[in-house]
Parts: sequence; structure tokens; C-alpha cells
Amino acid sequence: MDRNQITKWLKSPAKMAHKYSLHAVYFCTGCGIIEIPPVITTRWDAERFGVLPVATPRQGNLFMITGYVSLKTLKAIIRTYEQMPDPKYTVGFGSCPINGGMYWDSYNTIKHLDRYIPVDGWIAGCMPRPEAVFVGVTHLWTLIDKGKADGYLRYKRYYAAYRRNQEMLFGELQWPPLYPTEAEAEEARP
Amino acid sequence: MVTRIIQLLLSPLIALAVGVLFLGLSRKIIARIHRRYGPPLYQPVIDVIRMMSQRSISHGSLFELGVVLALAGSLVTVLFIPLGGTVICRQNPLAHGVLCPLSSSGGLLVVMYLMLFGPLGLALGAGDSANPNASIGVSRKLLLALAYEVPFLLVILAVMSHYRTISITEIVARQQESGWGVLSVPLSAVAAFLILPAMLGIRPFDLVSAPQEIASGPLAEYGGSYLALLAVQKGVHLFVVIALYVDLFLGGGVNLATFLVKMLVVFVAAEMIAAVLPRIRIESAVRFCWKWPTALALLQMAITVLSKSV
Amino acid sequence: MGAGAILTVALAGAGLSYPLGLLSAKVRNVFATAVSALLVCLVAAAYGRSGEHVYYSGFLGLDLILRTDALAWFFAITVSLVGCLSVVFSLRYVRGREKVSFYYFALLLVNAAMLGIVFSGDLLSFFIFWEVMSWAAYLLISYNRGRALYAGLKYIVMSIIGSCAMLVGLLSLYAAHDTLVISELAERIGSRGTGFLLGVLVAFSIGFGIKSAMVPLHTWLPDAHSEAPSPFSAVLSGILIKMGIYGFVLVMYALVGLKLLLGLRGAWVSFNSVLCWLGAIGILIPTFIAVLQTDAKRLLAWSSIGQIGYIILGMGFATSLGLTGALFHTFNHAVFKALLFLAVGAVEYRTGGVRDLNELGGLIKRMPVTFACALVGGLGLIGVPLTSGFVSKWLIYKTLIAEGHPFLALAALVGTWGAILYVYKLLHNMFLGQLPEKYAHLEAAPFTMRLPLVVCGSIIILFGILPGIPLGAVGPIVGSLGLEPVQATLTGFGPQVGPLNMVSIFAAAALAVLAVLLVLRASAAPRRVAQEDSYAAGSPVPAGRYHHTVRFYDPLEGATIGYLRDWADEFYTRVAGGARGGFDGLRRIYTGDVRNYVMYIVCLLAFLIFVQMVWHIW
Repeated sequence: MDRNQITKWLKSPAKMAHKYSLHAVYFCTGCGIIEIPPVITTRWDAERFGVLPVATPRQGNLFMITGYVSLKTLKAIIRTYEQMPDPKYTVGFGSCPINGGMYWDSYNTIKHLDRYIPVDGWIAGCMPRPEAVFVGVTHLWTLIDKGKADGYLRYKRYYAAYRRNQEMLFGELQWPPLYPTEAEAEEARP
Repeated sequence: MVTRIIQLLLSPLIALAVGVLFLGLSRKIIARIHRRYGPPLYQPVIDVIRMMSQRSISHGSLFELGVVLALAGSLVTVLFIPLGGTVICRQNPLAHGVLCPLSSSGGLLVVMYLMLFGPLGLALGAGDSANPNASIGVSRKLLLALAYEVPFLLVILAVMSHYRTISITEIVARQQESGWGVLSVPLSAVAAFLILPAMLGIRPFDLVSAPQEIASGPLAEYGGSYLALLAVQKGVHLFVVIALYVDLFLGGGVNLATFLVKMLVVFVAAEMIAAVLPRIRIESAVRFCWKWPTALALLQMAITVLSKSV
Repeated sequence: MGAGAILTVALAGAGLSYPLGLLSAKVRNVFATAVSALLVCLVAAAYGRSGEHVYYSGFLGLDLILRTDALAWFFAITVSLVGCLSVVFSLRYVRGREKVSFYYFALLLVNAAMLGIVFSGDLLSFFIFWEVMSWAAYLLISYNRGRALYAGLKYIVMSIIGSCAMLVGLLSLYAAHDTLVISELAERIGSRGTGFLLGVLVAFSIGFGIKSAMVPLHTWLPDAHSEAPSPFSAVLSGILIKMGIYGFVLVMYALVGLKLLLGLRGAWVSFNSVLCWLGAIGILIPTFIAVLQTDAKRLLAWSSIGQIGYIILGMGFATSLGLTGALFHTFNHAVFKALLFLAVGAVEYRTGGVRDLNELGGLIKRMPVTFACALVGGLGLIGVPLTSGFVSKWLIYKTLIAEGHPFLALAALVGTWGAILYVYKLLHNMFLGQLPEKYAHLEAAPFTMRLPLVVCGSIIILFGILPGIPLGAVGPIVGSLGLEPVQATLTGFGPQVGPLNMVSIFAAAALAVLAVLLVLRASAAPRRVAQEDSYAAGSPVPAGRYHHTVRFYDPLEGATIGYLRDWADEFYTRVAGGARGGFDGLRRIYTGDVRNYVMYIVCLLAFLIFVQMVWHIW
């Protein structure tokens, strides 16, 4: 650790800890997940960056969407994202979550993931190689440093819009809203 | 009085620091055996800070209190375990530099019971999380505890019968006078080492918090600061178990430094075995614990009882 | 004012509660509560006075004597306390059911009879009160009808067998010494040989063993405890089976005396050691059978048999530590088992009679006080430090280790770890996990049900932190039975017994909890979520039952269920079945046809004439 790092640690320990302890939720969507085992095991060893897979969304702070997102998966993605504690970061992995990729004209996959949950960064490619994951992680570090990885804040602020997008896709959602919607907030105000 | 207060504060802090360090060490050792570079030694500290800064969810008061009970119980246990130092005066070990603040308040039986608080607190908290994964994990945890407690109790009883005392400072003192427990009750030492991974919850006995099968079991709903406290609790528990092993079989330590060195040796040995083994199922774990460690411990106890009665 | 007054109040209260109930239910309830509370006050006020006086002379040419000593008072306070709590709990539990006056009458009568047993100064009044207790308990066990009738029958048949065995012992003592007064017997009994003593002890042991559910005489207990109304289950498990323990202590230590008792030994085996090993078996097997149970009350019933094993183990050792531990555990078990039965009763009351562990769940959200008390009771049962169960179990373990019996100690300790399994199963399946839809609007237990729970819970915690209070009461008993009393301080034991200081453990634990809470305070306050907001791999949690209860300890159950059968029960059932078949065959000689009867008479006469002709007997 150089001196620069130490001053950063002293200034905002939480931010630095988030940088170096990115615990990724085990959530295997699409074909991109096949790239993750090499990333976390011996060959590329993501643990040296503090990136570690964890079992449940409650324990993680990094959400990787690794591949195309079908409608059915999207429901699970939204629930999982909402179950993660704040602060949390989302990374879209591969071209499918960005713009649909090779499924751009499919009736059953979504084209733009960031319409439904906020995404902090993308790793492009089909598939991205493990090295690209590390490049993505270092970019995420920069974003966290500058305070630009604020997807969870945007989700809270524009929750009504996100929820509306989700409902446009699915109709009535099976779970209650995470944050009070505007109407409820109006009611709660004395 | 002042020494006592300092000791009371010091031993849990040592346990915290060493326990968390051991957590990092275990990750590093496993990484090196896997030919990886591995995370830095202080990685668990980063993780704990990160988790503390996240906003956790709660399923109810017991969900929160269970964690508090688990960590507090583990910290209290530390106070009953001598952490090095020579016993000069048996009647008042405190006055002569044994780092065991509550040695006059309870012996080995109390330690065994206090070690219950960790699993019990976690079990109660996890039960309140209304998640079947947690319940399955707790069921496994309690079964595993029953499985390793049978040989462990035999080991403890053999040691207590050998030294004819239930006071743990007394056992340490006797070893420092007349040779280590690993020489006088060797089979018990071997049996205790065989069940050490089960007591620590590391491979091949990490079936309680198996992330791939039952979503890390009792921890399934824990996140944020509760998960941080549970991670710390795991470290302290690790410290307690290994310190107990060192006190029972390796003669404690003349001072804190030698004590920690002995702990390090035991821990690294256990961790190296753990690093090369896969996870086994709960049935196999129970069968293993009730077979070889129990047989060895039983044999040692029979020998001890016979040699004492002759 | 002494034992006589207390017994008069108890018996009069029982007798009056029935006619009062015919007048007004409310008056009867108030009266029953007042009588049972008054008994507690009277016992507490008169506590510690010792004396002996004749209350009825010339009964079959014998004097009936009331005697009060340290042992009697210790059991009397336990009996009156648990009895009072169970009456208070009954107020709501039996409201609106049929024959309530009869219920109160029988309940108060059982309590009065138990007080009579502990105050009896001679074996005849002991026996009379014993029978009153047995029969009144039979009426209460069968109160629920249905399966309870079978349970009651099983209980009373075994009780009668036990009473007969006791009667044999009693009569042989009378035949030998011409008196049944305990203090006189204790002086004279030394003149007899060991064979006679052993015979008397075995006869009494069968009687007391059946009542205290000592393995292998326990088979009435699981049925009776689970089928009785819950407040009475608390009395049954809390104090009624302890009367067997009282009998053991009385006959072994007060009557036969320590010196003679220790003389009862052969080359390898002694009376005490047999008792100890029976205790150890009684800890191990019932504990693991309890783990398999799915009925909450049946689970607790098996656990009672296991805990009685601890008491018998401690008592059988005839050392001051062991006896102190056994007596203290008797009190503790009375409190925490009563608490657990009452807690299950409260759940049963609110859920409409459900006590199947696979049907409940999540009740902590609806009945938090009940859960907290049940948790304290469960922790006491396990013997977690800072509960009173810990101190008594600690004493028993300490005895076993100090006397050099590590294998018995192993049985006791493994029993404790088994207890964790079933206590957690009980608490988890009933109170933790997901709350089913049908219980979403359950009300908390009523006040009269919560009050006994809270009282029991406070006792467990208080005596766990300050064990010197009850140990101060146990010390004189051990002293009066001819052993050196254990040197106990208010907070535990000094170094000569073994280091134990509960207050410093409590202080350390409190400080540690406080420190952890402070750390928690520093982080952000948690967000409360609904039980449906739970991790299910991204899918919505299925509504209704998402709770792991069925076959909770599956691997253990699979491995042990083949071995953990109640062999004793199967054996007795087979004997009973054989006897039934035999008598059924014998019954066939009653054909109802007069000609057959004439033939029997002719045959008998012919036989007698034949006998007379050949041997010339008459």
C-alpha cells in the first residue's frame, strides 16, 4: 500500500472497502457464466482483487448479469437485485444485456437491461475473456472512487420509472414495491 | 484489580485480532496450495469493513439477537481459556502472569458449555429468518455438533481423568511440569486433531455453510453488519478451538508468544489438510466422527481409566 | 401452624372446590386460585420448621404421624409452587369445557396428596397419600377421553403394580420391626441382614421407579404426559414423577441410611451402581427417542424420562456433590419442564389443539412472550450457563468425574448434546420459520397463561445467576441425610469444590453483549422485511408453507430409527397381550349352560373324593 492509498483509506474506509471486497452474487444467466469459473479459480484468480462469489444476494455487493436475459430470468434478476443490501453495483457482461446481441429480434429476451435495473458498467464482447473481467473490475474501482457507481441511488430516486418499465413488461408484479411509490409517499406525508 | 481489568479487555482483543488474521491466513494458505496468488492477509478486515457499511435487513428481533448472542458467547469463552503464561501459584494463577482472566470462575466444563453459545445463537437467529436453507443448515450444524462432540467429550473426559481435575489452568500447569498432553494422552490428541476440521467448520466438514448446495445455510439471510459480526465470530470461534487444543495437548505456552506460535502450527496443519479435501455429506461426516476418532478416544480413555485404577 | 394446617387447607380446598363449582364457576375459579396461592404462602411462611406430631392415633392400631424436615420442605415448596402455577394456567385452559369443577377438584386433590406424601412421618400415611395421588392423577390423565383413556389405563395398571411392590416392602418392614414410623424404623433397621434390606429396597424401588419413570419402568409416561390436559402435564412431569425421587431419597438415605446403603454390594455390583447405570441408560436412549418425536408433548415426555435419568444418576452416587446436584436438578426440572409443558399448552390453546410439530411454525411473531419463556425453559433444559439447569448438571458431571466414572459422564454429556437437538427442534418447528397463513391472525396467549410462564422463566434465570439461594436450601437436606453439605457461596462454589462463579460469568456475558450491541449501533439501522422477502434463488417464496420441519434431523433419524424402539413397552405390551389371551381362554369355561356347571361340580367332587381315598388328607 502506498501513501496515497493510506490517505484514501483514512478518508473514506467504506468506499475503499467496497472497492477491494467485491462479493459477486452467484447468478448464472445465459452463456457468459461459463467464463466465470476460470476467473475465480486457479488460472486467473479473481480473489487477489477481492472478488469472490457468494451464495445469496444478502451477502454480496456486485451483481454480474452474464449473458442474455429472458423475460423469466429478468423477474429473478429484479428480485435478486432488490434483495441485495445497499451500496451495490451491477455490471452487464457480454453484448446481450447491452443491446440484445444476437437475440436482438427475439420475442422473449430483453434488449436493454438498464431499463429495468440500473447498471453501473458494461463489459462488452461475445464472450468477453476473463482478462476483460479484470479490466471491468478496475474500471469499476475508478467509478467507485469518483462516486459515479451510483446505480443503487438512481434506483431509489427513479424507482417509480423503473417499476413502471418492469410493469409494462410483466403486467402486475408479484412482489410489493421496494421503495414507497409517489402515491404512497403522498399518503404518508402528514 | 487493574491487571485484571487489563486482562479482561486484552484477551478478547487478542482473540479478535488473531482470529481474523487466521481467517485471512486460511484463505492465503488455500490459495497457495491451489497455486494461486490469493488475497492479502488483511482481506477479512476489508470484507468486515465493507459489510459493516452495508445496510442489512432484519427478519425480527431474534434474527438480530441471535448474532449478538453468538459473538458475545464466543468472546466470553475466550476469558476462560489460558492464553499462555506459567502457573507458579496454583491457588491464584492470576497473580502470576497467566492470561486467563476468569480462571477462578469456571473450568473445562464451563468452557464446553460456553462453546455452545455460538452455534445456538446462530441457530436461533437463522431459525427466525424463515428460510428453509437456513433451517437445513442448522439441522446439519446441530447434527455435526453431536457427531464431533462424542469423540470430543471422550477426549476431554480422558484428559480430565488423566489429570484428575476439571480446571483448565491446572491441566496446563501439570503439563508444564511433567510433559505435554500429546505424550501422556497421545491417542486423544490424535482423535482431537481428526475432529478439528469439524469443530472449525472447514473442509471436509464445511457442509453446514455449503454455499453451492444450501446457499450458505444458516447465513442465507444474513447480510451487512450481521454478516460482519458473524465473520468475526467465526474467527473468534477458530481461536477458541485451537487455543483449547494447544492448552489440552501442547502444554499451553510459557508466554503469549510461544502460545501463538503453537496455535499457528496447529492451525496451518489443519488448514493444509482441509485445502486438499472435498466436502463430504452429513451422513458421511457423522459416520466418520463416530468411527475412527471415537475408537481412538475410547481406547485412550480405557487406558487412562485402567492405569489410574491400578 | 405447620404441616397439619397446610394439609387441612389443601384437602379442604380440594373438597370445597367441587360444590362451589356447582354454585358459580367464577367463585370456584377464584377459590381454587386462592387456595393454591395460599398454600405457597403457608409453605413459604412455615419453611424450615422441623417437628413431628401424631395427627391420628389408633388407625389399625398404628399412629399416623406428620413430620417436617429440610427434605420435606424442599419438596413441599416445589409442589405448591408448580401446583399453583398450573391452577392459574388452567383458568383459561379449561374454561368452557365440560366437568370443570371435577377437574379443579382432582387437580387440587393431587396437589394436596403430594403435600401429604412429603409431610408423612410414617410409611402408612405415606402409602395412603400415595394412593390418593395415583388415583386422582388417573382421573386427570383420562380427562380428555379418546386416546387419553388408554393412556390413563396404562398409567393406573402400572401404578397399581408399583403400589403392590411398595406394599410388600412396607409390610415386610412392619412384620420385622413392628412399626412404620420412619424415624423409629431408621434406628431399628440396622439389625437386619443385607438380604432383607436389599429385598425391601428393591420392592420400594419398583414402586418409586414406576412413579418416577425410571428406565425400564417408564412406559406409562409418554402416553400419559402427552394425552393429559397441558396444565396437568406440567404437574405430572414437574412434580408428580418427582414424588418417586422423593421416595427414593427417603427410603435410601433417611430410612436405610448411608452406611447400610453403601454396604449393599457384591463382588462387582452394588445397589447404587445398578441405579447409576439405569440412570445412564435412562439418559441416553430416551433422549434420542425424543429427537424422533413429532408431537410436542410426546417429545417433552421423553425428555422428562431423560432428565429423570440425570437425577437418578446423581442420587445413586451417595456423595454430597451428587445428591446436591440431584436435588437441585429435581427442583430445576420441575420448573423448566412445567414451563415447557405450559408453553406448549398455550400454543395448543391458541391454535385449537394443534401440537403436531409439522403443522406449526413462525409463532414467535404472534406469541413473543410465550416464545421467550419457552426459550429460557429450553436453555435451562439443555443446561446452558446462566440458567439454573447448568449448575445442577455441573454438579452431577463433577461428581461423575471426581468419582472416576468417565463412561457415566460420557452418557450424561452426550445426553445434553442430544437435548440440544430436541429442544431446538421443538422451538424451531413451533415458533421459528415461516408463519402459515392460517395462523396469521392468532392472538397472544392470555395473561393468566403468560403469568406462570414468566414466573418460571424468572426463577430459572435468577437461580442460574445466584445458585446459592436454592443450594442454601439443599445444603441442610444433604446434612440431615448424613453427608457433608457442599460448600456453596451465593454465586457458585469456592475452589475446594471446583471453580464456579456464575455472577462473574453473567457480568462477562452482559458486558460482551453490550459491546457487540454498541458495535451494531454504530452501523446503519436494519431494514425490516416481510417473511416473504426471503432468498429463494430469485423466485417468489411460495405462500403458505416454506418451512423445513418434516424429518428435521433426517440423517440421524434414518440411522437410528431402527434401534430406538421402546423395547420395554413392547415387552410389557406382549406380556399384557399374553395374559389377556390366557384369561380369555379361561373365560370359555363359563358356557352359560347349567349342565356344564353341574359337570364341573361333579368333577371337582370326584377329584376331592379321589384325593381323600388315596392320600387320606382330611
